[in-house]
Amino acid sequence: MLKLENITKYYGDFKAVDNLSFSVLPGEIFGLLGVNGAGKTTTFRMIMGLLEPSSGNITLDDKKIDYSVTDNIGFLTEERSLLTKLTVKEQALFYGNLKSMKEKQILDRLDYLLNKFSISEYKDKKIKELSKGNQQKVQFIMAILNEPKLLILDEPFSGLDPFNIELFKKEIIEMSKKGSMIIFSSHRMEHVELFCKKLAIILNGKTVIKGYLKDIKEQYRKKNIIIKGDIKKKDLIDIDGVLEVIEKADELEVKIESKDVVDKVFSKVKNFGNITKFVVEEPSLNEIFISKVGMEYEK
Amino acid sequence: MKNKLIYLTKNSLNRKIKTKWFLIANIALLIVIAGIINIDKIISMFGGDFDENKIVYVIDNTNYTYDILNENMKSISSTMDSSELSNFELRKESKTKQQLKDNLKNNELIVVIDESVENTLDVTLVSQGYIDTIDYQILNQALNNTKTTIAIKKSNIDVNLLNNIYKGIKIKREYIDEDKKSEDENMEMIMTTVFPFIILPFFMLSIFLIQIIGSEVNDEKTTRGMEIIISNVSPKIHFFSKILAGNIFIIMQGILLLLYSGIGFLIRKLFVSPESSSFESQIMSIINNVSGTEFMSKLIYIIPITLVLMLLTLIAYSLVAGVLASMTTNAEDFNQLQSPIVIISLVGYYLSVMAGMFKGALFIRILSYVPFISAILSPSLLVLGQIVIFDTLISIIIILITIFLLIKYGLRIYKVGILNYSSKDLWKKMFKALKN
Repeated sequence: MLKLENITKYYGDFKAVDNLSFSVLPGEIFGLLGVNGAGKTTTFRMIMGLLEPSSGNITLDDKKIDYSVTDNIGFLTEERSLLTKLTVKEQALFYGNLKSMKEKQILDRLDYLLNKFSISEYKDKKIKELSKGNQQKVQFIMAILNEPKLLILDEPFSGLDPFNIELFKKEIIEMSKKGSMIIFSSHRMEHVELFCKKLAIILNGKTVIKGYLKDIKEQYRKKNIIIKGDIKKKDLIDIDGVLEVIEKADELEVKIESKDVVDKVFSKVKNFGNITKFVVEEPSLNEIFISKVGMEYEK
Repeated sequence: MKNKLIYLTKNSLNRKIKTKWFLIANIALLIVIAGIINIDKIISMFGGDFDENKIVYVIDNTNYTYDILNENMKSISSTMDSSELSNFELRKESKTKQQLKDNLKNNELIVVIDESVENTLDVTLVSQGYIDTIDYQILNQALNNTKTTIAIKKSNIDVNLLNNIYKGIKIKREYIDEDKKSEDENMEMIMTTVFPFIILPFFMLSIFLIQIIGSEVNDEKTTRGMEIIISNVSPKIHFFSKILAGNIFIIMQGILLLLYSGIGFLIRKLFVSPESSSFESQIMSIINNVSGTEFMSKLIYIIPITLVLMLLTLIAYSLVAGVLASMTTNAEDFNQLQSPIVIISLVGYYLSVMAGMFKGALFIRILSYVPFISAILSPSLLVLGQIVIFDTLISIIIILITIFLLIKYGLRIYKVGILNYSSKDLWKKMFKALKN
């Protein structure tokens, strides 16, 4: 298990990470969310030992992370971290050797992954000659070359099209099924909602939301009701508990304080004719995040 | 970790050696070095004015000067080493100056010699245009010698006395310091000229070392590959792998340069000039002068000590290059930052050239202890006999201390520098790293 306990990191007087704690169990995919500059990359750098935390502990299977365990960790950095003058094969041999892998093991695994990501033809091409998307694929392949026990993915989907995001997603899920602990960061909520069951949202280094996605959504009392029919905004806005009514093409999106308001809205709506849609939706993670961030900003 | 150090060192070396550019650069070096060694023959091969015989028409109005002048020209040819001399061809002419002038070619000269009561001889030199400075000097020397010979003859001086007048002066050297010998003094004179050329490749290799280590660290840093590398090996291992690989590469390149010089001499010996030329004679003469002298026994310890000092200085240079490269965020910044180191090295080189002119200069002697300068300056002063072996040992100790300090404090900067991508507050960050 990866465990971060009360991690704080200062850069001079600036507090980049403030008392961050979370844990990731084998087979879990953990999402670390936050806007740019929230402290995600600093957190990853501390896990990888590239930065020393100002305070707090980071352990992997109850042991401090040092160079004796890094062979079991895969790391995909936010920015490209490939030696672009090398070919894909040379790069794999280089990183694989740094992970104490044998040459045959590296090449077999590389062939398998290149084939899986449909870029076998680039094996002997220099990385600088590849497109941004293919470079990102190569970078991802390098991160999972050693079938890591802990995989850290910092903004893995940047520069990828939806098709390739799906490819990455499949591989990440497959690795979690094999028992890998996976942490992945993004500032795009929809990516996290795709497959993270557990997450933390940080803002200015501080954790603003943390826990299982299901619980977070349940705890967030506000819901949305989508209504389609012969009903106007003014008919709903005065109902007690309705926060906002947004007109969207031929639908109305009604934001309510809590689940208890649904009945009140329904009672009102049923009096109108030609109602073809009445759906109660969970708020998106994006909504929850914006709401939380907004609260923080207002402080 | 030890395996990773070996792997990183090997990988770094392979990245330098197993490239087409290394091959191309070394082929070019081989051609250039072999070419420089055989440059005189290459120039001659393409032809030019220097190939033409310089014909000197001598109108000897005295009727006794020509033979003496001819002898003196031959004499200068035998004593001076210049291929230009052998091209002079003296011809006694009975035609008048005007007749010769009408058809005079560029490679032809007219020397008119007249008797003079006041000057013994009066000479007129006629040419199409300006003549070569060396040609002028040779003619001038031969004519002066001729004039002296005629003047002495006219004075009815005895032949033996005449020989004595011409014989070079013998200087008997005496030294208050009993350890000093005249052979060594001669050697020092030779070495003052020769040593700066011997040491030049070291200067070039040290510059090359700074560049290769700097550019490799810089490349890994700017591509952010450094983050993955440092996630898997400690900065210390990474740093030492660069130092090791850089120094092994430079030593290899140094050996290759020696090999190319050997090939150059072999080509000269086998194909270009099978018979011993003046160039080889000069080298052989230096070797002969050195062997058997006290200086030779000195070389037995000067060479290894110089090599140790040079090797340690190369290590120190590579440490500095690694640390500086870690601080910079792009190749341009590193190029700017390496300039002061190159200048320091250049100072050492110039001082070693000037050491012969400023014998006993305290300033130069003090600088011979200064790290980076010492590798070039200390051996130069040692060869010139201006310092003793003890001074060079002090330089070695100082460079060892420098290396220790560079590892201790430089590594702290390196650890922070390689993962720093911003030039903002750079020096503040580095000083902070030094304190930690």
